[in-house]
Amino acid sequence: MEGASYQRFPRVKIREVKDDYMKFELRDTDASIANALRRIMIAEVPTIAIDLVEIEVNSSVLNDEFISHRLGLIPLTSERAMSMRFSRDCDACDGDGQCEYCSVEFYLRVKCLSDQTLDVTSKDLLSSDHTVVPVDYSDASSGFDNSTNKGIIIVKLRRGQELRLRAIARKGIGKDHAKWSPAATVTFMYEPEIYINEDMMETLSLEEKKELVESSPTKVFDIDPENKQVIVVDPEAYTYDDEVLKKAEAMGKPGLVEIHAKEDSFIFTVETTGAVKASQLVLNAIDVLKQKLDAVRLSDDTVEADDQFGELGAHMRGG
Amino acid sequence: MNAPDRYERFVVPEGVKKVSYERDTKIMNAATFTVEREDHTIGNIVRMQLHRDDSVLFAGYKLPHPLQYKILLRIQTTSQSSPMQAYNQAINDLDKELDHLKNQFEGELAKHTRDY
Repeated sequence: MEGASYQRFPRVKIREVKDDYMKFELRDTDASIANALRRIMIAEVPTIAIDLVEIEVNSSVLNDEFISHRLGLIPLTSERAMSMRFSRDCDACDGDGQCEYCSVEFYLRVKCLSDQTLDVTSKDLLSSDHTVVPVDYSDASSGFDNSTNKGIIIVKLRRGQELRLRAIARKGIGKDHAKWSPAATVTFMYEPEIYINEDMMETLSLEEKKELVESSPTKVFDIDPENKQVIVVDPEAYTYDDEVLKKAEAMGKPGLVEIHAKEDSFIFTVETTGAVKASQLVLNAIDVLKQKLDAVRLSDDTVEADDQFGELGAHMRGG
Repeated sequence: MNAPDRYERFVVPEGVKKVSYERDTKIMNAATFTVEREDHTIGNIVRMQLHRDDSVLFAGYKLPHPLQYKILLRIQTTSQSSPMQAYNQAINDLDKELDHLKNQFEGELAKHTRDY
């Protein structure tokens, strides 16, 4: 039964990691895996977001639905999301979000008592679970004055206006609603392989070399200040625009520069909303993809049904 | 107004099988797998993995309609194998590849967090 294995052994090289940003190289696999990971990071890695809002008092200028929508879009720290339950398959509660396995409760109680406009922000949300709170965007290392950072503004109140509500946050995925997407941007590009025909390049005057370098809209090439040769300074700046190739052709030198996309090598950039760390997002995406693959394995009864069918076929053939 | 519920896209309805299998009546060693509530993410990686298999003569998938949340995967193999065997092999190989990828990624990440 065991056939030959066609497994691949992909390699990873991380270039840069920050909390909400990372860049890495993925090699020795194909575009289908790279794209599956990208799609999953955007739409299928779970996070927690406000999903149900009960408004007690709202005398602000924004209507209830408008405020509820804004609350939903606030990123909440979601390290716990992978181990939480979806409220639809939670059997500890009836899905109204009262239990600790599938939901987190928030309260917001603000009233403006002064003549100055009061900003209601994500920092005014009181969470029932200290691991699930609105993401804090004040960056201590940035050197800016953090006292002015008050979080994400939900609504502004004038004297006498009040907002009082209870909200329930649940686990969800970006496929359901974009508010659950942990990804700000996830992109990958093929790594370009740029080859300069040095012999042909020798026949160019310095003026022509400069023209060629200038023809690229992104700064991929430059001229070595010492030996006046055209060099590749940043291959990844190349956007597959073909401008240099067209220029070489126009100069009557086709083949002067050759550019190929390496089809098994990708450069990923991942930015998150802050709900999970960028590195964790990639790991979660791999886990989610593994779970999905597991779910599409053939069930035993399907295999059995086919075996019977096979026997029947054999009987029929055998007469 | 008559839009399907959003959860329809990823919740398999009760009584419906996640993967069903149907042999082709006219072609030997050919079959169609219907995978409920999946899309290009699964369809494309399984297809590409099947293409690496020498015993697979044909492998293709389609998403019949954007509002029918299922994919159809068609496989034809040589007589040395069967569509079911090829399908299982592809999933096992992908699973192992992802295990390897995860280990690689964790190893690299450990290196980077150390020099922080």
